[in-house]
Amino acid sequence: MSTAQSLHQSRKRKNAVMMALCVIAAGIGLAWLALILGALLYKGLSGVSLAVFTQMTPPPGDAGGLLNAIYGSIVMTIIGIVVGTPIGVLAGTYMAEYGRFSKLTTVVRFINDILLSAPSIIVGLFVYELMVRPMGHFSAIAGAVALSILVIPVVVRTTEDMLNLVPNALREAGTAIGAPRWVVIRSVAYRAALSGIVTGILLAIARISGETAPLLFTALNNQFWSSNLNAPMASLPVTIFQFALSPYEEWQQLAWTGALIITLTVLGLSIIARSLTGRREDR
Amino acid sequence: MKPMLSTDLNAADTTVEKAKIEVKNLNFYYGQSKALKDINLSLPERSVTAFIGPSGCGKSTLLRVLNRIYELYPKQSAEGQVLLDGKNILDRSQDLNLLRTKIGMVFQKPTPFPMSIYENIAFGVRLYEKISKAEMDSRVESALKRAALWNEVKDKLNASGQSLSGGQQQRLCIARTVAVKPEVILLDEPASALDPLSTAKIEELIDELQADYTIVIVTHNMQQAARVSRQTAFMYLGELVEFDRTEKIFTSPREKRTQDYITGRFG
Repeated sequence: MSTAQSLHQSRKRKNAVMMALCVIAAGIGLAWLALILGALLYKGLSGVSLAVFTQMTPPPGDAGGLLNAIYGSIVMTIIGIVVGTPIGVLAGTYMAEYGRFSKLTTVVRFINDILLSAPSIIVGLFVYELMVRPMGHFSAIAGAVALSILVIPVVVRTTEDMLNLVPNALREAGTAIGAPRWVVIRSVAYRAALSGIVTGILLAIARISGETAPLLFTALNNQFWSSNLNAPMASLPVTIFQFALSPYEEWQQLAWTGALIITLTVLGLSIIARSLTGRREDR
Repeated sequence: MKPMLSTDLNAADTTVEKAKIEVKNLNFYYGQSKALKDINLSLPERSVTAFIGPSGCGKSTLLRVLNRIYELYPKQSAEGQVLLDGKNILDRSQDLNLLRTKIGMVFQKPTPFPMSIYENIAFGVRLYEKISKAEMDSRVESALKRAALWNEVKDKLNASGQSLSGGQQQRLCIARTVAVKPEVILLDEPASALDPLSTAKIEELIDELQADYTIVIVTHNMQQAARVSRQTAFMYLGELVEFDRTEKIFTSPREKRTQDYITGRFG
Protein backbone atom coordinates (compact mmCIF):
# COMPACT_ATOMS: atom_id res chain seq x y z
CA MET A 1 0.00 0.00 0.00
CA SER A 2 1.38 3.39 -0.91
CA THR A 3 1.98 6.12 1.68
CA ALA A 4 -0.73 8.31 0.26
CA GLN A 5 -3.29 5.54 0.63
CA SER A 6 -2.31 4.68 4.18
CA LEU A 7 -2.45 8.35 5.13
CA HIS A 8 -5.90 8.52 3.63
CA GLN A 9 -6.98 5.45 5.61
CA SER A 10 -5.72 6.86 8.90
CA ARG A 11 -7.43 10.17 8.21
CA LYS A 12 -10.67 8.36 7.61
CA ARG A 13 -10.33 6.49 10.91
CA LYS A 14 -9.61 9.70 12.82
CA ASN A 15 -12.59 11.31 11.15
CA ALA A 16 -14.85 8.45 12.22
CA VAL A 17 -13.66 8.67 15.84
CA MET A 18 -14.12 12.45 16.02
CA MET A 19 -17.53 12.21 14.39
CA ALA A 20 -18.63 9.61 16.93
CA LEU A 21 -17.43 11.77 19.84
CA CYS A 22 -19.30 14.78 18.50
CA VAL A 23 -22.51 12.81 18.05
CA ILE A 24 -22.26 11.45 21.58
CA ALA A 25 -21.64 14.93 23.02
CA ALA A 26 -24.59 16.37 21.11
CA GLY A 27 -26.71 13.43 22.22
CA ILE A 28 -25.86 13.97 25.89
CA GLY A 29 -26.70 17.66 25.63
CA LEU A 30 -30.02 17.00 23.95
CA ALA A 31 -30.87 14.12 26.30
CA TRP A 32 -30.84 16.41 29.35
CA LEU A 33 -33.10 18.85 27.61
CA ALA A 34 -35.44 16.04 26.61
CA LEU A 35 -35.41 14.65 30.16
CA ILE A 36 -36.23 18.02 31.68
CA LEU A 37 -39.02 18.70 29.21
CA GLY A 38 -40.31 15.12 29.62
CA ALA A 39 -40.32 15.34 33.42
CA LEU A 40 -42.06 18.72 33.31
CA LEU A 41 -44.71 17.49 30.93
CA TYR A 42 -45.20 14.24 32.87
CA LYS A 43 -45.46 15.86 36.29
CA GLY A 44 -46.88 19.23 35.31
CA LEU A 45 -49.46 18.40 32.68
CA SER A 46 -51.61 16.36 35.08
CA GLY A 47 -52.00 19.46 37.27
CA VAL A 48 -53.10 21.78 34.49
CA SER A 49 -56.73 22.74 34.95
CA LEU A 50 -58.90 25.80 34.79
CA ALA A 51 -58.40 26.26 38.53
CA VAL A 52 -54.68 26.93 38.00
CA PHE A 53 -55.56 30.07 36.08
CA THR A 54 -58.58 31.18 38.13
CA GLN A 55 -57.74 30.51 41.79
CA MET A 56 -55.22 31.92 44.23
CA THR A 57 -52.33 30.01 45.73
CA PRO A 58 -53.87 27.85 48.44
CA PRO A 59 -52.88 27.40 52.07
CA PRO A 60 -51.13 24.10 52.76
CA GLY A 61 -53.38 21.09 52.31
CA ASP A 62 -55.97 22.90 50.21
CA ALA A 63 -56.64 22.92 46.49
CA GLY A 64 -56.01 26.14 44.59
CA GLY A 65 -54.34 27.73 41.62
CA LEU A 66 -51.58 30.09 40.60
CA LEU A 67 -53.57 33.12 39.47
CA ASN A 68 -51.87 35.65 41.77
CA ALA A 69 -48.42 34.30 40.88
CA ILE A 70 -49.13 34.37 37.13
CA TYR A 71 -50.54 37.89 37.44
CA GLY A 72 -47.52 39.04 39.45
CA SER A 73 -45.09 37.56 36.98
CA ILE A 74 -46.83 39.22 34.05
CA VAL A 75 -47.08 42.62 35.77
CA MET A 76 -43.46 42.70 36.92
CA THR A 77 -42.17 41.39 33.60
CA ILE A 78 -44.11 44.03 31.69
CA ILE A 79 -42.87 46.86 33.92
CA GLY A 80 -39.33 45.48 33.74
CA ILE A 81 -39.47 45.40 29.95
CA VAL A 82 -41.16 48.79 29.63
CA VAL A 83 -38.51 50.39 31.83
CA GLY A 84 -35.49 48.45 30.58
CA THR A 85 -36.12 48.35 26.83
CA PRO A 86 -35.97 52.08 26.01
CA ILE A 87 -32.80 52.49 28.07
CA GLY A 88 -31.24 49.45 26.40
CA VAL A 89 -32.27 50.42 22.87
CA LEU A 90 -31.08 54.00 23.30
CA ALA A 91 -27.75 52.92 24.77
CA GLY A 92 -27.27 50.38 21.98
CA THR A 93 -28.15 53.06 19.44
CA TYR A 94 -25.57 55.41 20.90
CA MET A 95 -22.91 52.72 20.75
CA ALA A 96 -23.62 51.62 17.18
CA GLU A 97 -24.50 54.98 15.66
CA TYR A 98 -23.41 58.18 17.38
CA GLY A 99 -20.53 56.81 19.41
CA ARG A 100 -19.26 54.18 17.03
CA PHE A 101 -15.74 55.54 17.07
CA SER A 102 -15.64 56.86 20.63
CA LYS A 103 -13.73 55.47 23.61
CA LEU A 104 -16.84 55.68 25.75
CA THR A 105 -18.45 52.99 23.60
CA THR A 106 -15.62 50.56 24.27
CA VAL A 107 -15.92 51.21 28.00
CA VAL A 108 -19.70 50.87 28.01
CA ARG A 109 -19.52 47.66 25.99
CA PHE A 110 -17.03 46.18 28.46
CA ILE A 111 -19.15 47.10 31.49
CA ASN A 112 -22.29 45.93 29.75
CA ASP A 113 -20.73 42.53 29.12
CA ILE A 114 -19.92 42.24 32.81
CA LEU A 115 -23.49 43.19 33.70
CA LEU A 116 -24.73 40.63 31.17
CA SER A 117 -22.98 37.80 32.98
CA ALA A 118 -23.44 39.12 36.53
CA PRO A 119 -25.28 36.69 38.84
CA SER A 120 -28.85 37.91 39.13
CA ILE A 121 -28.81 37.53 42.90
CA ILE A 122 -26.37 40.45 43.04
CA VAL A 123 -28.85 42.57 41.15
CA GLY A 124 -31.46 41.50 43.70
CA LEU A 125 -29.24 42.54 46.61
CA PHE A 126 -28.44 45.83 44.90
CA VAL A 127 -32.10 46.73 44.52
CA TYR A 128 -32.74 45.54 48.07
CA GLU A 129 -30.25 48.12 49.33
CA LEU A 130 -31.45 50.74 46.89
CA MET A 131 -35.22 50.46 47.34
CA VAL A 132 -36.41 47.85 49.80
CA ARG A 133 -34.39 49.08 52.80
CA PRO A 134 -35.20 52.78 52.37
CA MET A 135 -38.87 51.96 51.79
CA GLY A 136 -38.92 49.62 54.73
CA HIS A 137 -40.81 46.80 52.98
CA PHE A 138 -40.72 44.49 49.98
CA SER A 139 -42.64 45.65 46.93
CA ALA A 140 -43.60 44.69 43.41
CA ILE A 141 -42.07 47.86 42.05
CA ALA A 142 -38.69 46.93 43.52
CA GLY A 143 -39.03 43.53 41.85
CA ALA A 144 -39.81 45.19 38.52
CA VAL A 145 -36.78 47.47 38.87
CA ALA A 146 -34.54 44.47 39.56
CA LEU A 147 -35.90 42.76 36.44
CA SER A 148 -35.40 45.89 34.33
CA ILE A 149 -31.75 45.97 35.38
CA LEU A 150 -31.46 42.45 33.97
CA VAL A 151 -33.21 43.52 30.76
CA ILE A 152 -30.87 46.41 29.98
CA PRO A 153 -27.63 44.55 29.17
CA VAL A 154 -29.42 41.98 26.99
CA VAL A 155 -31.16 44.69 24.96
CA VAL A 156 -28.04 46.88 24.75
CA ARG A 157 -26.04 44.00 23.38
CA THR A 158 -28.53 42.84 20.76
CA THR A 159 -29.40 46.39 19.67
CA GLU A 160 -25.76 47.28 19.16
CA ASP A 161 -24.98 44.02 17.36
CA MET A 162 -27.99 44.28 15.08
CA LEU A 163 -27.31 47.92 14.19
CA ASN A 164 -23.69 47.05 13.48
CA LEU A 165 -24.94 44.49 10.97
CA VAL A 166 -26.70 47.23 8.98
CA PRO A 167 -24.31 47.98 6.12
CA ASN A 168 -22.64 51.38 6.25
CA ALA A 169 -23.54 51.83 2.60
CA LEU A 170 -27.18 52.10 3.67
CA ARG A 171 -26.38 54.89 6.16
CA GLU A 172 -24.32 56.67 3.53
CA ALA A 173 -27.21 56.39 1.09
CA GLY A 174 -29.60 57.88 3.61
CA THR A 175 -27.17 60.67 4.39
CA ALA A 176 -26.48 61.30 0.72
CA ILE A 177 -30.13 62.02 0.07
CA GLY A 178 -30.07 64.79 2.64
CA ALA A 179 -31.55 63.04 5.64
CA PRO A 180 -30.32 64.25 9.03
CA ARG A 181 -28.64 61.64 11.19
CA TRP A 182 -31.60 60.93 13.44
CA VAL A 183 -33.83 60.34 10.42
CA VAL A 184 -31.28 57.93 8.95
CA ILE A 185 -31.22 56.05 12.25
CA ARG A 186 -34.99 56.03 12.70
CA SER A 187 -36.11 55.33 9.16
CA VAL A 188 -33.23 53.35 7.71
CA ALA A 189 -31.06 51.73 10.38
CA TYR A 190 -33.87 50.80 12.81
CA ARG A 191 -35.98 49.48 9.99
CA ALA A 192 -33.17 47.33 8.67
CA ALA A 193 -32.40 46.00 12.14
CA LEU A 194 -35.97 45.80 13.46
CA SER A 195 -36.44 42.02 13.61
CA GLY A 196 -33.09 41.63 15.35
CA ILE A 197 -33.89 44.26 17.95
CA VAL A 198 -37.32 42.73 18.61
CA THR A 199 -35.63 39.35 18.97
CA GLY A 200 -33.38 40.82 21.65
CA ILE A 201 -36.40 42.13 23.55
CA LEU A 202 -38.14 38.75 23.34
CA LEU A 203 -35.00 37.04 24.63
CA ALA A 204 -34.91 39.54 27.50
CA ILE A 205 -38.53 38.67 28.36
CA ALA A 206 -37.60 34.99 28.27
CA ARG A 207 -34.67 35.64 30.56
CA ILE A 208 -36.50 37.63 33.23
CA SER A 209 -39.67 35.58 33.31
CA GLY A 210 -37.71 32.75 34.90
CA GLU A 211 -35.61 34.80 37.33
CA THR A 212 -36.08 33.91 41.01
CA ALA A 213 -33.12 35.31 42.93
CA PRO A 214 -33.66 39.03 42.24
CA LEU A 215 -37.33 38.73 43.19
CA LEU A 216 -36.62 37.00 46.50
CA PHE A 217 -34.95 40.17 47.75
CA THR A 218 -37.39 42.61 46.25
CA ALA A 219 -40.96 41.56 45.55
CA LEU A 220 -40.74 38.59 47.92
CA ASN A 221 -44.01 36.71 47.66
CA ASN A 222 -47.65 37.00 48.51
CA GLN A 223 -50.07 34.26 49.38
CA PHE A 224 -53.03 36.38 48.35
CA TRP A 225 -54.26 38.46 45.47
CA SER A 226 -52.53 41.82 45.35
CA SER A 227 -52.34 44.34 42.56
CA ASN A 228 -50.67 46.94 44.77
CA LEU A 229 -47.27 47.74 43.29
CA ASN A 230 -46.15 49.11 46.63
CA ALA A 231 -46.68 45.79 48.40
CA PRO A 232 -45.10 42.35 48.13
CA MET A 233 -46.34 40.48 45.08
CA ALA A 234 -46.33 36.81 44.16
CA SER A 235 -44.52 35.58 41.08
CA LEU A 236 -44.29 32.22 39.39
CA PRO A 237 -40.58 31.56 40.00
CA VAL A 238 -40.69 32.45 43.69
CA THR A 239 -43.90 30.50 44.17
CA ILE A 240 -42.31 27.50 42.50
CA PHE A 241 -39.29 27.87 44.77
CA GLN A 242 -41.46 28.00 47.88
CA PHE A 243 -43.90 25.28 46.86
CA ALA A 244 -41.30 22.86 45.54
CA LEU A 245 -39.43 22.93 48.85
CA SER A 246 -42.61 22.36 50.87
CA PRO A 247 -43.70 18.97 52.17
CA TYR A 248 -47.29 19.40 50.94
CA GLU A 249 -48.32 17.41 47.91
CA GLU A 250 -50.77 20.00 46.51
CA TRP A 251 -48.07 22.66 46.63
CA GLN A 252 -45.55 20.40 44.94
CA GLN A 253 -48.04 19.67 42.19
CA LEU A 254 -48.65 23.38 41.66
CA ALA A 255 -44.87 23.96 41.52
CA TRP A 256 -44.57 21.43 38.70
CA THR A 257 -47.45 23.04 36.84
CA GLY A 258 -45.98 26.49 37.31
CA ALA A 259 -42.61 25.28 36.03
CA LEU A 260 -44.34 23.85 32.97
CA ILE A 261 -46.12 27.17 32.31
CA ILE A 262 -42.87 29.16 32.52
CA THR A 263 -40.98 26.69 30.34
CA LEU A 264 -43.64 26.68 27.65
CA THR A 265 -43.80 30.48 27.69
CA VAL A 266 -40.04 30.78 27.30
CA LEU A 267 -40.06 28.10 24.61
CA GLY A 268 -42.80 29.96 22.74
CA LEU A 269 -40.90 33.26 22.94
CA SER A 270 -37.71 31.59 21.73
CA ILE A 271 -39.53 30.09 18.77
CA ILE A 272 -41.00 33.49 17.87
CA ALA A 273 -37.55 35.09 18.23
CA ARG A 274 -36.05 32.38 16.05
CA SER A 275 -38.63 32.73 13.32
CA LEU A 276 -38.14 36.52 13.28
CA THR A 277 -34.39 36.16 12.80
CA GLY A 278 -34.91 33.40 10.28
CA ARG A 279 -37.18 35.59 8.21
CA ARG A 280 -34.55 38.31 8.13
CA GLU A 281 -31.93 35.88 6.84
CA ASP A 282 -34.24 34.71 4.08
CA ARG A 283 -34.47 38.14 2.59
CA MET B 1 -33.17 75.60 -5.53
CA LYS B 2 -32.87 76.27 -9.24
CA PRO B 3 -35.76 74.95 -11.30
CA MET B 4 -34.82 72.47 -14.01
CA LEU B 5 -36.74 73.70 -16.99
CA SER B 6 -36.28 71.92 -20.23
CA THR B 7 -36.17 75.28 -22.03
CA ASP B 8 -32.75 75.97 -20.51
CA LEU B 9 -31.36 72.93 -22.27
CA ASN B 10 -29.68 74.50 -25.23
CA ALA B 11 -28.06 77.33 -23.34
CA ALA B 12 -24.97 75.33 -22.41
CA ASP B 13 -24.21 74.43 -26.02
CA THR B 14 -24.23 77.96 -27.34
CA THR B 15 -22.58 79.90 -24.56
CA VAL B 16 -19.20 79.40 -22.92
CA GLU B 17 -19.52 76.45 -20.55
CA LYS B 18 -20.24 77.59 -17.05
CA ALA B 19 -18.43 75.83 -14.22
CA LYS B 20 -20.87 74.20 -11.79
CA ILE B 21 -18.23 73.00 -9.40
CA GLU B 22 -14.71 74.35 -9.02
CA VAL B 23 -12.15 72.50 -6.94
CA LYS B 24 -9.26 74.66 -5.79
CA ASN B 25 -6.06 73.49 -4.07
CA LEU B 26 -7.83 70.57 -2.48
CA ASN B 27 -5.91 68.32 -0.11
CA PHE B 28 -7.49 65.39 1.67
CA TYR B 29 -6.28 63.37 4.62
CA TYR B 30 -7.17 59.99 6.10
CA GLY B 31 -5.71 60.63 9.54
CA GLN B 32 -2.08 61.47 8.81
CA SER B 33 -1.89 60.09 5.29
CA LYS B 34 -2.53 62.42 2.42
CA ALA B 35 -4.93 60.95 -0.11
CA LEU B 36 -5.47 63.94 -2.43
CA LYS B 37 -2.67 66.31 -3.35
CA ASP B 38 -3.46 69.81 -4.46
CA ILE B 39 -6.34 69.05 -6.79
CA ASN B 40 -7.57 71.79 -9.11
CA LEU B 41 -10.34 71.23 -11.59
CA SER B 42 -13.55 72.71 -12.81
CA LEU B 43 -16.65 70.71 -13.70
CA PRO B 44 -18.88 72.24 -16.38
CA GLU B 45 -22.63 72.45 -15.84
CA ARG B 46 -24.93 69.86 -17.45
CA SER B 47 -22.27 67.60 -18.69
CA VAL B 48 -20.74 64.29 -17.65
CA THR B 49 -17.28 64.26 -16.13
CA ALA B 50 -15.49 60.96 -15.49
CA PHE B 51 -12.79 60.31 -12.91
CA ILE B 52 -10.56 57.42 -13.94
CA GLY B 53 -7.42 55.89 -12.53
CA PRO B 54 -6.12 52.73 -10.85
CA SER B 55 -7.48 51.55 -7.48
CA GLY B 56 -6.43 53.76 -4.60
CA CYS B 57 -5.67 56.77 -6.81
CA GLY B 58 -8.16 58.96 -4.94
CA LYS B 59 -10.95 59.18 -7.48
CA SER B 60 -13.66 57.97 -5.06
CA THR B 61 -12.18 60.13 -2.31
CA LEU B 62 -12.49 63.18 -4.52
CA LEU B 63 -16.10 62.29 -5.29
CA ARG B 64 -16.85 61.88 -1.59
CA VAL B 65 -15.52 65.36 -0.89
CA LEU B 66 -18.04 66.90 -3.28
CA ASN B 67 -21.01 66.12 -1.00
CA ARG B 68 -18.92 65.92 2.17
CA ILE B 69 -20.14 62.41 2.87
CA TYR B 70 -16.67 61.68 4.23
CA GLU B 71 -17.68 63.58 7.35
CA LEU B 72 -19.57 60.52 8.56
CA TYR B 73 -16.20 59.20 9.63
CA PRO B 74 -13.79 60.73 12.09
CA LYS B 75 -10.20 61.47 11.15
CA GLN B 76 -11.01 62.33 7.56
CA SER B 77 -10.46 65.95 6.64
CA ALA B 78 -10.33 68.19 3.59
CA GLU B 79 -8.40 71.42 3.04
CA GLY B 80 -8.85 73.90 0.23
CA GLN B 81 -11.97 75.01 -1.59
CA VAL B 82 -14.81 73.35 -3.42
CA LEU B 83 -17.02 75.98 -4.98
CA LEU B 84 -20.59 75.08 -5.91
CA ASP B 85 -21.95 77.96 -8.00
CA GLY B 86 -19.16 80.05 -6.53
CA LYS B 87 -19.90 79.22 -2.88
CA ASN B 88 -17.39 77.23 -0.87
CA ILE B 89 -19.10 74.08 0.39
CA LEU B 90 -16.17 73.14 2.61
CA ASP B 91 -17.03 76.18 4.69
CA ARG B 92 -18.07 75.39 8.26
CA SER B 93 -21.29 77.33 7.85
CA GLN B 94 -22.45 75.07 5.01
CA ASP B 95 -25.54 73.10 6.06
CA LEU B 96 -24.66 69.51 5.20
CA ASN B 97 -28.18 68.21 4.75
CA LEU B 98 -29.10 71.00 2.39
CA LEU B 99 -25.86 70.49 0.48
CA ARG B 100 -26.75 66.84 -0.02
CA THR B 101 -30.17 67.64 -1.38
CA LYS B 102 -28.40 69.67 -4.07
CA ILE B 103 -25.72 67.08 -4.70
CA GLY B 104 -27.15 63.56 -4.94
CA MET B 105 -25.07 60.39 -4.88
CA VAL B 106 -25.43 56.85 -6.18
CA PHE B 107 -23.13 54.17 -4.83
CA GLN B 108 -21.27 51.19 -6.20
CA LYS B 109 -23.51 48.65 -4.50
CA PRO B 110 -27.24 49.27 -4.95
CA THR B 111 -28.57 50.54 -1.62
CA PRO B 112 -32.37 50.43 -1.62
CA PHE B 113 -33.77 51.40 1.79
CA PRO B 114 -35.59 48.65 3.68
CA MET B 115 -39.01 49.90 2.55
CA SER B 116 -41.34 49.69 -0.42
CA ILE B 117 -40.38 50.90 -3.90
CA TYR B 118 -42.78 53.83 -3.51
CA GLU B 119 -41.44 54.74 -0.08
CA ASN B 120 -37.85 54.53 -1.28
CA ILE B 121 -38.58 57.52 -3.48
CA ALA B 122 -41.09 59.34 -1.28
CA PHE B 123 -38.67 59.18 1.67
CA GLY B 124 -36.22 61.72 0.27
CA VAL B 125 -38.93 64.00 -1.11
CA ARG B 126 -40.78 64.08 2.19
CA LEU B 127 -37.69 65.30 4.03
CA TYR B 128 -37.86 68.76 2.54
CA GLU B 129 -41.28 69.12 0.93
CA LYS B 130 -44.81 68.88 2.19
CA ILE B 131 -46.90 67.73 -0.75
CA SER B 132 -50.24 66.01 -1.16
CA LYS B 133 -50.66 62.31 -1.81
CA ALA B 134 -51.58 62.96 -5.44
CA GLU B 135 -48.56 65.18 -6.00
CA MET B 136 -46.36 62.56 -4.36
CA ASP B 137 -47.81 59.87 -6.60
CA SER B 138 -46.95 61.84 -9.69
CA ARG B 139 -43.54 62.71 -8.29
CA VAL B 140 -42.78 59.02 -7.72
CA GLU B 141 -44.05 58.15 -11.16
CA SER B 142 -41.97 60.78 -12.93
CA ALA B 143 -38.83 59.83 -10.99
CA LEU B 144 -39.30 56.17 -11.88
CA LYS B 145 -39.92 57.09 -15.53
CA ARG B 146 -36.84 59.26 -15.50
CA ALA B 147 -34.82 56.26 -14.30
CA ALA B 148 -36.43 54.00 -16.94
CA LEU B 149 -37.88 51.78 -14.24
CA TRP B 150 -41.56 52.71 -14.28
CA ASN B 151 -42.72 50.02 -16.71
CA GLU B 152 -41.06 47.30 -14.69
CA VAL B 153 -42.41 48.30 -11.27
CA LYS B 154 -45.65 50.22 -11.83
CA ASP B 155 -47.75 47.21 -10.73
CA LYS B 156 -45.77 46.53 -7.56
CA LEU B 157 -44.97 49.88 -6.03
CA ASN B 158 -45.69 48.44 -2.59
CA ALA B 159 -43.22 45.58 -2.98
CA SER B 160 -39.97 45.85 -1.06
CA GLY B 161 -37.22 47.75 -2.85
CA GLN B 162 -34.89 44.94 -1.90
CA SER B 163 -36.92 42.42 -3.90
CA LEU B 164 -35.79 43.96 -7.19
CA SER B 165 -32.85 42.70 -9.25
CA GLY B 166 -29.46 44.38 -8.88
CA GLY B 167 -29.85 46.47 -12.02
CA GLN B 168 -33.36 47.52 -11.06
CA GLN B 169 -32.21 48.39 -7.55
CA GLN B 170 -29.53 50.64 -8.99
CA ARG B 171 -32.06 52.40 -11.21
CA LEU B 172 -34.31 52.75 -8.14
CA CYS B 173 -31.41 54.48 -6.39
CA ILE B 174 -31.02 56.81 -9.35
CA ALA B 175 -34.77 57.51 -9.33
CA ARG B 176 -34.60 58.24 -5.61
CA THR B 177 -31.75 60.67 -6.18
CA VAL B 178 -33.47 62.41 -9.09
CA ALA B 179 -36.75 62.72 -7.14
CA VAL B 180 -35.30 65.25 -4.70
CA LYS B 181 -34.37 67.47 -7.67
CA PRO B 182 -30.64 67.81 -7.15
CA GLU B 183 -28.37 69.94 -9.33
CA VAL B 184 -25.44 67.57 -9.34
CA ILE B 185 -25.41 63.77 -9.34
CA LEU B 186 -22.36 61.87 -8.16
CA LEU B 187 -22.03 58.28 -9.36
CA ASP B 188 -19.48 56.08 -7.60
CA GLU B 189 -18.83 53.16 -9.97
CA PRO B 190 -22.57 52.78 -10.46
CA ALA B 191 -22.37 49.84 -12.84
CA SER B 192 -19.43 47.85 -11.54
CA ALA B 193 -21.66 45.38 -9.69
CA LEU B 194 -24.04 44.93 -12.62
CA ASP B 195 -24.28 42.67 -15.67
CA PRO B 196 -23.58 44.10 -19.16
CA LEU B 197 -27.27 44.61 -20.01
CA SER B 198 -28.01 46.56 -16.83
CA THR B 199 -24.79 48.49 -17.35
CA ALA B 200 -25.94 49.52 -20.82
CA LYS B 201 -29.24 50.73 -19.37
CA ILE B 202 -27.49 52.77 -16.70
CA GLU B 203 -25.17 54.34 -19.27
CA GLU B 204 -28.10 55.24 -21.49
CA LEU B 205 -29.72 56.84 -18.49
CA ILE B 206 -26.61 58.88 -17.66
CA ASP B 207 -26.60 60.13 -21.22
CA GLU B 208 -30.20 61.33 -20.87
CA LEU B 209 -29.74 62.82 -17.42
CA GLN B 210 -26.93 65.14 -18.46
CA ALA B 211 -29.48 67.34 -20.18
CA ASP B 212 -30.66 68.45 -16.74
CA TYR B 213 -27.92 67.61 -14.29
CA THR B 214 -24.22 68.04 -13.79
CA ILE B 215 -22.94 64.49 -13.51
CA VAL B 216 -19.70 63.16 -12.08
CA ILE B 217 -18.93 59.49 -12.51
CA VAL B 218 -16.11 57.48 -10.97
CA THR B 219 -15.26 54.40 -12.94
CA HIS B 220 -12.36 52.05 -13.41
CA ASN B 221 -13.84 50.89 -16.67
CA MET B 222 -12.10 53.06 -19.27
CA GLN B 223 -14.47 52.12 -22.08
CA GLN B 224 -17.32 53.29 -19.89
CA ALA B 225 -15.61 56.62 -19.30
CA ALA B 226 -15.06 56.98 -23.04
CA ARG B 227 -18.69 56.12 -23.78
CA VAL B 228 -20.50 58.33 -21.28
CA SER B 229 -18.36 61.34 -20.44
CA ARG B 230 -17.53 64.64 -22.05
CA GLN B 231 -14.56 65.41 -19.80
CA THR B 232 -12.22 62.92 -18.20
CA ALA B 233 -9.89 63.40 -15.26
CA PHE B 234 -7.09 60.89 -14.92
CA MET B 235 -5.84 60.51 -11.37
CA TYR B 236 -2.83 58.67 -10.07
CA LEU B 237 -1.52 58.35 -6.49
CA GLY B 238 -3.69 61.17 -5.21
CA GLU B 239 -2.75 63.58 -7.95
CA LEU B 240 -4.77 64.88 -10.83
CA VAL B 241 -2.51 63.98 -13.72
CA GLU B 242 -4.57 65.21 -16.61
CA PHE B 243 -8.00 66.72 -17.14
CA ASP B 244 -9.36 67.36 -20.60
CA ARG B 245 -12.08 66.58 -23.11
CA THR B 246 -12.66 62.84 -23.19
CA GLU B 247 -11.67 62.41 -26.86
CA LYS B 248 -8.45 64.21 -26.14
CA ILE B 249 -7.59 62.01 -23.14
CA PHE B 250 -8.26 58.83 -25.06
CA THR B 251 -6.66 59.80 -28.38
CA SER B 252 -3.83 62.20 -27.68
CA PRO B 253 -3.09 62.59 -23.98
CA ARG B 254 -0.47 65.10 -22.97
CA GLU B 255 1.03 63.05 -20.17
CA LYS B 256 2.93 59.81 -20.57
CA ARG B 257 1.34 58.37 -17.41
CA THR B 258 -2.13 58.89 -18.91
CA GLN B 259 -1.08 57.25 -22.12
CA ASP B 260 0.40 54.28 -20.24
CA TYR B 261 -2.78 53.84 -18.22
CA ILE B 262 -5.28 54.05 -21.05
CA THR B 263 -3.24 51.73 -23.24
CA GLY B 264 -3.20 49.23 -20.39
CA ARG B 265 0.46 49.33 -19.55
CA PHE B 266 -0.37 49.54 -15.83
CA GLY B 267 -3.33 49.78 -13.52
